[in-house]
Amino acid sequence: MTLWSRAKSLGRNLFRKHAVEEDLHDEVRAFVEMATAEKVAAGWTEAEARRATLAELGGLERLKRSVREERAGTALESIAQDLRFGARQVSKSPAFGVTVMTTLALSIGITTAVFSVLYAMVIRPLPYGDVSRIVALDTHSAGGGTQFASYPEYADWRRMSHSFTALAGYLPQGTVGMESSAGPVVLREVGGTDNFFTALGVNPILGRTFLPGEETSGRGDVVVLSYEVWQQDFGGKADIVGRRVQMDGSAFTVIGVMPAGFRFPINFANSIYVPLHLDKSQLENRGNHWLQTLARLKPGVTARQAEADLDTVFAALGKADAFNAGRSVHAVDLTTWVVGNTAGSLRLLLIAVAAMLVIGCVNVAGLLLARGVKREREMALRSAIGAHRMRIVRQLLTEALLFAVCGAGAGVALAFGLLRLIRVLLIASLARGAEVQVNLPVLLAALGVSVAVTVVAALMPALRLSGTAPAMALKSGGSTGTTRGQHRLRTGFVVTQVALALALLVVSGLLLQMLGQLRSAELGFNPDQILTAEVNLPRGRYAGRDVLADFYTPMIEKLEALPGVRAAGVIQMLPLQAWGWNSEHIHIYGTAPLKSPRTDPAEVRFVSPGYYRVFQDALIEGRLQDPHIDKPTTQLVGVVNEAFVKKFIPAGRDPVGMEIGDNDQTQTLANQDNPRILIVGVVKNIRQTVYQPTFPQMDFMIAQVPAAESLNAIGSMHVVVRTAVAPASLVPAMRQVFRQVDPTVPLREPETMLEVMADVLTFERLENWLFGLFAVMAVLLAVVGLYGLLTHEVELSTREIGIRLALGATRTTILKGIYRRVGWMLAIGVGLGLVLTAAAQKAISAVVALRMQKDAWLIAALALGLLSAGLLAAALPARKASAVEPMEALREE
Amino acid sequence: MGSKQTNLLQGTLDLLILKALVTGERHGLGVSRRIEQMTRGTFLVKPGSLFPALHRMEESGWLTSFWGESENNRRAKFYRLTKAGTRQLGEETEQWQKIAMAMTHALKTSQETP
Repeated sequence: MTLWSRAKSLGRNLFRKHAVEEDLHDEVRAFVEMATAEKVAAGWTEAEARRATLAELGGLERLKRSVREERAGTALESIAQDLRFGARQVSKSPAFGVTVMTTLALSIGITTAVFSVLYAMVIRPLPYGDVSRIVALDTHSAGGGTQFASYPEYADWRRMSHSFTALAGYLPQGTVGMESSAGPVVLREVGGTDNFFTALGVNPILGRTFLPGEETSGRGDVVVLSYEVWQQDFGGKADIVGRRVQMDGSAFTVIGVMPAGFRFPINFANSIYVPLHLDKSQLENRGNHWLQTLARLKPGVTARQAEADLDTVFAALGKADAFNAGRSVHAVDLTTWVVGNTAGSLRLLLIAVAAMLVIGCVNVAGLLLARGVKREREMALRSAIGAHRMRIVRQLLTEALLFAVCGAGAGVALAFGLLRLIRVLLIASLARGAEVQVNLPVLLAALGVSVAVTVVAALMPALRLSGTAPAMALKSGGSTGTTRGQHRLRTGFVVTQVALALALLVVSGLLLQMLGQLRSAELGFNPDQILTAEVNLPRGRYAGRDVLADFYTPMIEKLEALPGVRAAGVIQMLPLQAWGWNSEHIHIYGTAPLKSPRTDPAEVRFVSPGYYRVFQDALIEGRLQDPHIDKPTTQLVGVVNEAFVKKFIPAGRDPVGMEIGDNDQTQTLANQDNPRILIVGVVKNIRQTVYQPTFPQMDFMIAQVPAAESLNAIGSMHVVVRTAVAPASLVPAMRQVFRQVDPTVPLREPETMLEVMADVLTFERLENWLFGLFAVMAVLLAVVGLYGLLTHEVELSTREIGIRLALGATRTTILKGIYRRVGWMLAIGVGLGLVLTAAAQKAISAVVALRMQKDAWLIAALALGLLSAGLLAAALPARKASAVEPMEALREE
Repeated sequence: MGSKQTNLLQGTLDLLILKALVTGERHGLGVSRRIEQMTRGTFLVKPGSLFPALHRMEESGWLTSFWGESENNRRAKFYRLTKAGTRQLGEETEQWQKIAMAMTHALKTSQETP
């Protein structure tokens, strides 16, 4: 009931305000009349009685006000009043309101979106059990190059080390075709040793993972599904465990499903896990280094101790077998291993994000402060005619919150929109791109910071007012906001913005330059008009068959017969996309052995002759392999590149005709009667990766691979086609060819070579994109800030300018004065920006090398650009100042 | 009606207003006079305190108001106790008596101990 009556009166007070007011008026009037009448009756004169009654009342208006304050809804009402007033203020100068809100929205939105990406990629813990105890074993050869384990080595390490609860090996095997309930799908296949999941510390949500010894061939073909595959391809049915599925032509039994979010390697979406099924040669070949390793540390064992333990094991093995001598290991904690080389760039991005937020906040603060100064007299006036200080503060607060709420709302929307965009654009390139979500704490933090800055900046004038008597503020008249301290503060804001903007500009400029260099790097081939596709022959179907005769030869012939195809071939590692298939046992007969025979690896490639035509790899001397001359029964012949010659052949000697000793990669290929490899030709360098100079390389022809070894050696290849037409237009014809040759071989989505390059450079492009965005925003905000500040100053000094003009100053003098001031601010900002950039050199170098001298031109150009943008921003307010009419200006205030 | 006015204790005014209205509806001046009378002139309620209190108590639902004719045939706003107001009066009276007794007792004690 009380509640109801309160609600009723609240309604009445708010909506029938007029009637309530009248009622109060009448009531008080009646009181005065009656009290006067009473006194008159007691013998007072009418006038005396009235005066005394009114005195008793203590002022009609005051009485009414104190009654009003008792009424429900007073606070609400005055907030509504403030809001209306605020909205009116904003609509009076819409540009100002829009600028403040846009700045807030951009700062919050961009900061949050980019930070969310960073969080998802770098900061969020990996989805494994007790991640800090997992180390990746970065093993090296005696020469220092990265060298994985051969299976026998791995088995020795596992047996002889004491630091780990599990030491596992794995092999990301590329793609595999699976018959799911929804039809054939292409999935990523990861092979692991039996303790793979133990090392990662993750249990399945359904069924089991691998049993001890399950990696040995013949112990059942079993597969563990990732959560995504289970959901997408098998409808998330609980009876999946025990089902038989067809994978690349063989039957496998599903034994388990991993929990959502589990992925290893972390960028392998849609993956399945199988035990490594090794054949005899893989089990026994010590020279074939293909197995990557990771391990879970025993409790209390540090990574360094584990390294020392493994060093002991390696030393013992090296003594027993010279083949293993000189190996070293570095135990890297898994997070570092996964996040790896992008960490530096991301950290720099983080700084850039913070800089962005600072610029935004400084801008908002500067704008609001400038406006506050302008309104100082208004505040003083209101205070002088009796407004409570709290009431003024509340009104300013309401206005600030109006800005903050609108800006923040737009910022949140922007953050979500940007992230959606980032997800679409970068899903493949970021290791954990698919899982990027808006990071709530960061969103809240960004909101908090910017809203707090807005509110504080808006309240500044009111707070400052409390220090001075209203009369003083009123008296200062035309010189409001022109005290030294305020000048300096605002100048500081502009200088800060310009400095940060320049630093961001320089970094993004350098990145753009680097990307351009990488893109136009001398690749050794023309990437236009090359189409590529990955082929993985189903093991079940091709086991024991001659894959060359049964698949590659007919496929290449059919492809070359297609109209629009200039040449077709195969290679097992696509240039620019992958490298590291190498041999470290290079010895050339007739030359002095290198000091350390394993110092320099040479890349090993299996190719078909068509590959040279597709990549237009020019023969420099000798001949290419020829299937009519070079057969599996004749001596193994190799074609080497220029880098190989430079590295391994003494100057002045003719490499053609020299012989290479057999090595770990070619052991199984070499002719038993003559295991030496004959160099028949030298070709030009073709880059294996855009990031490093060309490595030495030896090419072998697939036609010389013994039939028994063919599935192992060349079961997974890249088909490459040089086209006379747009490469993408040949995709349907290519599919047709594959279906004709063998419909069971799944064709992965073909890509043009340009797309491959773009994929490789995705991170660089992302970085570039983000920094570019930041730089543009920073410059824009700095310009807006400068513009706002100058406009404000011109407005404040209108009277002063008027006086000066009246006293005979020319408009040119006024203009000069303004530009001189702007020039100084910009110059100091740019100077500070350069200092800042130089100071951040170390952080920047994680992303791109910055050499102040070499890049001086670029930096100078950017600084000049920023300067001109700043001067341009000053043009409008300056013109306004010079257009001041002295008479009007003097009359105005 | 001495010029020295005893300050009203916080909350006392409400109790006095409620009590003043027990005997029937009154307008503002009437309430003021009735309180004077009830307290034998000790408390003089000024309009600056009276009207805000009346309005607050009306918002709280203890009083209702209506326009009527005063004894001198003037139009005046009258206040009347509601059921909630009567209940409130009971509660506040009880509370006040407790306080009054406690205070009396306390003051006595302090007089006895030297």
